[in-house]
Amino acid sequence: MPETILRTEGLSKKFGQRWAVKDVNLEVNKGDIFGFLGPNGAGKSTTIRMILTLLTPTSGSVRIFGKDVRRDRHEVLSRVCGIVEKPDFYIYLSAYRNLEVLGNLSRKIAKDEIVSALEIVGLASRANDKVKTFSHGMKQRLGIAQAILTKPDLVIMDEPTSGLDPQGMKEVRDLVLTLSRDHGTTIFLSSHLLTEVHSVANRMAVLNHGELIVQGKVSDLLKGDSSYYSINVSPQDRAVEILKAQPWIEIVSVANEIDIHIDSGRAAEVNRLLVVNDIEVSSFTAKRTLEDYFLKITEGASDL
Amino acid sequence: MTLIGIETFKTFRRWRTYLGFLAVLGAVILLEVIVKLNLAHFSQAYARGLSNEFVVSGNIINAWAIAAFTLNSLYIHVPFLITLVAGDMVSAEAASGTLRLLLIRPPSRSRIIVAKYSAMMIYTGLLIIFLAALCIGLGLLLFGTGDLIRFQVMPPQMVILPQSIAVPRTLLAFLFAILAMSVVGSLAFLFSTMVDNSIGPIIGAMAIVIVFTIVGTLPFESLEAIRPYLFTTYMDIWQLPLDNPVNWLEVLKYALALIGHDALFFGAAFFIFVRKDIKS
Repeated sequence: MPETILRTEGLSKKFGQRWAVKDVNLEVNKGDIFGFLGPNGAGKSTTIRMILTLLTPTSGSVRIFGKDVRRDRHEVLSRVCGIVEKPDFYIYLSAYRNLEVLGNLSRKIAKDEIVSALEIVGLASRANDKVKTFSHGMKQRLGIAQAILTKPDLVIMDEPTSGLDPQGMKEVRDLVLTLSRDHGTTIFLSSHLLTEVHSVANRMAVLNHGELIVQGKVSDLLKGDSSYYSINVSPQDRAVEILKAQPWIEIVSVANEIDIHIDSGRAAEVNRLLVVNDIEVSSFTAKRTLEDYFLKITEGASDL
Repeated sequence: MTLIGIETFKTFRRWRTYLGFLAVLGAVILLEVIVKLNLAHFSQAYARGLSNEFVVSGNIINAWAIAAFTLNSLYIHVPFLITLVAGDMVSAEAASGTLRLLLIRPPSRSRIIVAKYSAMMIYTGLLIIFLAALCIGLGLLLFGTGDLIRFQVMPPQMVILPQSIAVPRTLLAFLFAILAMSVVGSLAFLFSTMVDNSIGPIIGAMAIVIVFTIVGTLPFESLEAIRPYLFTTYMDIWQLPLDNPVNWLEVLKYALALIGHDALFFGAAFFIFVRKDIKS
């Protein structure tokens, strides 16, 4: 049995008459890169804020390392690093001073440790520059340097790539993987970007309208009853005509490949149909991305 | 670095913190240089209040007289400089997002708020000490020393404090000034825990100081009943050690009233902060 690092039980938060989060039960295991998915406004940030004690839950509890996060706050948060939404730092202090101040809130930090953390995230040359001169991406990297510096067992990141360009997103993703691989850190990563979670997470949970819809291994959840396929055929125009003529086949898109949606178990029938009509089928691939899955279970949330 | 050390370090790494010191530096130099350049005229004006019953001859303006005169700036000017920093202690971090960063670290909220309050008190103390050092130091340089001659308000009379007494009494007056200003700081600090912007606490605290001061000085009998409940009634505690004789019972009463207000404002700030939901 894997060791559970983070567990929420019946976690709920009500603002006025509205439930922002309702009865959320999460389980994050040691070593996980846990993707916490949901459309904007699903309640991800509220959940994270409750986990990190920024918000008081209306009901329910949060246990990290087996301890109640509110009752054993010091002990628990000494082993946790959180990056909540924007990577905000003291803009009037240098990167070095920020890490010194924030690191010392957890434990005594040596100068070498700060320099080393800045080197890992590629900010060593900017150590003495004030954070107000940093780009958004540099601040995100500084946030990760903070995580490296305090050597936490659990890093909780809320939308870490939000507002970054593709290069910045890749850098952050790589740093997340570095934290997990090289430092053995458990990562709890919230995002509304499906590709981000898909590319790094091994387990995930999906939240929608404040309620937990599903959680489990990414591979298990995506295995399911695949009904989307990509077909590489020649000649493509003729194949499209044949497929279109069948009312039980939905053509999703036509580009280099033809993407179709069919009922489960009819893939062989499609393949046979193409072959008997002298269409050369060079590939026939089951396709179920996290995006398909996510859209299905959140009933097509519009802001994805 | 301790938590108080971290908060003090952060406070003194912001340029806004030095505005108060710069303002005090400019104001005191300006005041003392102007007095020096117009010494005869200023001496005459200063003596006018005393000369109804006495003939005043010679120079009565010295470092101690200048210090006593400068202390009057504690009514409005210095409180404003205190609120500039105190009103910013929590709200600025809430506005910039660093409060989130702080509150997800291991130290408890109660320790953080105590550290922030301590840093605010350190700033208040240092600002008044700076004011004292500057106006006495420059006063000694420009006007020399001597007995302190001043007009006492209650009961109205002229007071002559020999130099040997004037020195410790002036220092005590500045010490009490720190206590008086700490209440203004505590009030702004309380407001700072309530909102996510810095302007509100500064304006709010200053508005209360000004309104309470006006209410406290208006000569209406109907206002007499509420005056004991206004903290501004006790803020001129710094004047009491310069009286002769000193009414120590009154000093104690004023000091306890100010400490009580400090405790009340900080207690409210503590209560709000430890229960606050951080939504921004």
